[in-house]
Amino acid sequence: MTGRPHDPLQPGPRSSDAEETVEAIQLGKVDAFVVHGPDGPQVVMLQGSDVPYRALVERINDGALTLAGDGTILYANSRLAALTGIDVANLVGRNFDTLFVDGAPDRGGQEPTDAQLHSKAGSLPVSVWMSSLVIGGVASTLATVTDLSATVRAQEVATAERFARSILEQATDAIIVLTQDGRVARASAVAEALAAVPPIGRTFSDAFPIVADDNRAGALARFRRESLDMLLATKPFHGVEVKLRVADQGQRSFLLSAGPLLNDDKKSIGSIVTLTEITERKRSEEQQTMLVAELNHRVKNILAIVQSVAMQTVRNAASLDAFGDTFSGRIKALAVAHDLLTQTRWYGIGLGELLAAITAPYRGAREDRIGIDGPPVMLPAQAVLPLSMVFHELATNASKYGALSNASGVVTLRWEATAAPERMLKLEWRESGGPAATAPGAGGFGTKLIRRVVQYDLDGTIDMAYGPEGACVALEFPLRPTGLSVESPPLVTAPS
Amino acid sequence: MATTCACMSPARPPKSVAAIANLKKLCEKHLPGRYTIEVIDLMKDPALAQRDQIVAIPTLIRKLPEPLKRIIGDLSNADKVLVGLDIVPS
Repeated sequence: MTGRPHDPLQPGPRSSDAEETVEAIQLGKVDAFVVHGPDGPQVVMLQGSDVPYRALVERINDGALTLAGDGTILYANSRLAALTGIDVANLVGRNFDTLFVDGAPDRGGQEPTDAQLHSKAGSLPVSVWMSSLVIGGVASTLATVTDLSATVRAQEVATAERFARSILEQATDAIIVLTQDGRVARASAVAEALAAVPPIGRTFSDAFPIVADDNRAGALARFRRESLDMLLATKPFHGVEVKLRVADQGQRSFLLSAGPLLNDDKKSIGSIVTLTEITERKRSEEQQTMLVAELNHRVKNILAIVQSVAMQTVRNAASLDAFGDTFSGRIKALAVAHDLLTQTRWYGIGLGELLAAITAPYRGAREDRIGIDGPPVMLPAQAVLPLSMVFHELATNASKYGALSNASGVVTLRWEATAAPERMLKLEWRESGGPAATAPGAGGFGTKLIRRVVQYDLDGTIDMAYGPEGACVALEFPLRPTGLSVESPPLVTAPS
Repeated sequence: MATTCACMSPARPPKSVAAIANLKKLCEKHLPGRYTIEVIDLMKDPALAQRDQIVAIPTLIRKLPEPLKRIIGDLSNADKVLVGLDIVPS
């Protein structure tokens, strides 16, 4: 018994009384003890003192039991009976090991150990704690069995949640989870970036204003926004092409797919909508379509030019040989310009580069016979073929009749470009050191071609002067924006 | 002869009830008409235990004749009680 030490000055029970007390307790002839607590003597019942503890053990949410040294169950609470599906009367007397799928954990350990308990449903994850105890001089074991299924389930849910969150955060597609009434419950990082407004809680059509974009999207386009939200939340879609109005970025193209979101009972509780961006793919397709159209157009143009040049050359040629030389030269000039355009993917060419290429065959051994001098100017693709034809004709004329027809004459090419908005190119071809130039006859195809090309194909003006120093030709035409165009102007208008 | 038997009421525990019954039986047999028994309820007034140096319940205290004597337990062993109380069997 614990109690306050007795005051040695006070008469107290003799040692024989103490021995008698111990003997009486051992023989079970005592109901209670008197102990001296801080508030004076207190009576502590012996008989029935374990009743509240038993009640407590019966009420706890863990299985609890006592084991004999050989593992035989001496006592089990009703919670263990519920966990195992075996009533208490049948638990008592069993061996503890038989309750577990792989036998009971080691009884020597003090730390809780995870194990699988046989249960009605098969098995149950549990944590088992055991402690050695001596009861009435007999070595026993106390054990508790804690049901971990809720904990395991919570961990599984947490893991699934982390997994889902990871997908939503890292997916390159926009992923949107809709409730059954078409409101956004979750949205991936990409989806949030695309949304017109913070999407959570909004209807899909509010957060993602879409425009139906192909024939198959007719079903989507027919519905009002409210109906569209319900449709997306309840019906599956696969690869419907749509355009989305994205703030500050205009319209972007997406493939929209939607599928049901199922709960544990396989019932639909909403839908998962994905938006896969195809803007670049669409742009690439459009460019490809435009390129094919451009190619068709240019081939037709080139054939028309070749046909026109051939006809006019034949009409003005004195002989078949003369036709051959002239026609071949003109076609070569076109080919050179075409090569340059192809190298730059029809985006245009530097003026100096074009002039150098066109006039190269006429320089001969002297590089300085044709001087090229001017600021960098990028010619629009549409201007390249006409201009190459113009300078091919000028160079041919110069080699036949002008400054390039003798050993000492030179040609100087100069240009300047005016500033925006309407950029104009002023270009001068000046011959010197050659024989005196005279105006060609009215029937000369070369001069006619030059005038028509400058006037109709370049939308410019031309001034051709002829004097004792040689010919001087001044062109002026607008530099229109570069780039591909399906509607490029015809290169050469057939002269009448 | 006066005796004090410490026990509890109203929910009397079994050893105390047995002690009172055994004591009464002994006294009637060996000290008829010559004894008084006082039963005190320590559950009601635990301080009385300190006064009489009671450490276990039930405890029989013989106050008179002196010297004071104690017997702990349910008094089921009559011979031991008689010896303890110096009663000569009649």
